[in-house]
Amino acid sequence: MTRDNVTPDSAIEKAAERLKTAEQTKLACPPVRDLLGDTDLSAAYAVQKMLTRSRIAAGSRVIGRKIGLTSQSVQRQFGVNTPDFGVLFDDMIYGDGEHVPFDRFLKPRVEGEIAFVLGADLPSERTTLVDVLRATEFVLPAIEIVDSRIEGWDIHITDTIADNASGGAFALGTTPYPILGVDLTEVGMVLEHNGQPVSTGAGVACLNSPALAVAWLAREVAARGDHLCAGETILSGALGPMVSVPGPGRYRLDLSGLGHVEITFTGEESVS
Amino acid sequence: MRDSEHHGRALAARLDEAQSTGIPIEDSTDFERLSLDEAYRMQHCLIRRRAERGDGPVGVKLGFTSKAKMLQMGVDTVIVGSLTSSMLIEDGGSVSLDGFIHPRIEPEIAFRLGADVDLDGDDAALLNDIDGVAPALEIIDSRYAGFAFTLSSVVADNTSASAFAVGPWQRFNRDGDLENRAVRLVVGDTVRAVGSTAAILGNPSRVLPFLLRAARTHGFTLNAGDVILAGAATAATPLVEGFAEARVAGLGRTAITVEGVSRG
Repeated sequence: MTRDNVTPDSAIEKAAERLKTAEQTKLACPPVRDLLGDTDLSAAYAVQKMLTRSRIAAGSRVIGRKIGLTSQSVQRQFGVNTPDFGVLFDDMIYGDGEHVPFDRFLKPRVEGEIAFVLGADLPSERTTLVDVLRATEFVLPAIEIVDSRIEGWDIHITDTIADNASGGAFALGTTPYPILGVDLTEVGMVLEHNGQPVSTGAGVACLNSPALAVAWLAREVAARGDHLCAGETILSGALGPMVSVPGPGRYRLDLSGLGHVEITFTGEESVS
Repeated sequence: MRDSEHHGRALAARLDEAQSTGIPIEDSTDFERLSLDEAYRMQHCLIRRRAERGDGPVGVKLGFTSKAKMLQMGVDTVIVGSLTSSMLIEDGGSVSLDGFIHPRIEPEIAFRLGADVDLDGDDAALLNDIDGVAPALEIIDSRYAGFAFTLSSVVADNTSASAFAVGPWQRFNRDGDLENRAVRLVVGDTVRAVGSTAAILGNPSRVLPFLLRAARTHGFTLNAGDVILAGAATAATPLVEGFAEARVAGLGRTAITVEGVSRG
């Protein structure tokens, strides 16, 4: 793929090194846009790929992808008109009711989503909505824990893409639902913190439909030289506002008609 | 005492005038000084003025129906306003931007009372008196400049109530699950807000005990046929010319046409 703006390889390596150190030390780093600029998305994905290779070399396995920036308001905030994506690894997954150590994150935030589990590959740069619906084996409710290795979440588009689309971890419900006959746009979402609703929304907030978001992802991943595979889990994007996690506590997600999932952050009270 | 009553009536007249002329009150200090009791008395005074003009009460509306909003306003309960007959926009009907100050619109859930409510009944009583539920649109329009208000001033200003539309009524099933239904608000041909009925205290039915207690404390009556607007499911968005629709999953929709300001 040709790049409009040519960011030197040395800058890509430096950005990857900076983010890797932040992840390892749990000390947030400055943004990487000083190295990548604000518009070279390909350079930012190159950083992401470098970090992905490094995690795989360290023993992690890729189990899917996540889609970010799927709401109009967030895109407007970032000054972009496209979503972005990151990679999900096997060490990021939690099950319903599990405890999540708060200190594995820097500044975690949570959001409620629909996870798609694929039963077939989606290899084409011209993947359609119908391809996605046919390839979807089932969906699950998902709490995504997003996190930023960048100080104070001071991110622009290239910062978040390089930083694995601000991916952190995720928790999945345990009951699979088929999507046949389900209007995903009309799925209601409520995320509760210690019993109080803190984020509410619905399927239509995610690129008009979470299935359309997955179709976008399949095309985008293919255009960048890779493809979505059978068995992968796709976090399709937030159905409502993301909320900061101030410290240990319980979060429960309910998706109307698609079940629920809950997690408890454990550990010391946050000092900041 | 008579002086303060006179003062109260003069303040209510200012709110009434701001509403009818569309000219906002610039200095709301006098309204912010009211106690909560005085603010509710002023609201009742305002509604009596409307009733005397043939614009009688048809229900109530609730505000601050999320914990976040209560926290922000420093209160631990909902606020109640009055709906009058002239505020009702027919489902599918139209409304003109003329006469509003800075209107905003929000999607809601409406309940309908099937019986007069015994205010001394227990908290669960009100739930038994509900005979219908429907999607609704509410237009709010503060009579204060800049939409700036305090707890007391907004209560005196009839909780910014301005107009509303209600979609087709559905039978209310007590066990019916209103608690997490997708809600979308379309304004001027664009989806402006997306949310869930869970934004209303986790479940819109939970506003009813709050309403019963507020009615008892602050002098509202709740009668057969009254409409109860249970609170907003999303943030309010500016009302603009065109089409406005609230859609609630499994419950239906209500839509209105918004006409521009006449230039003449």
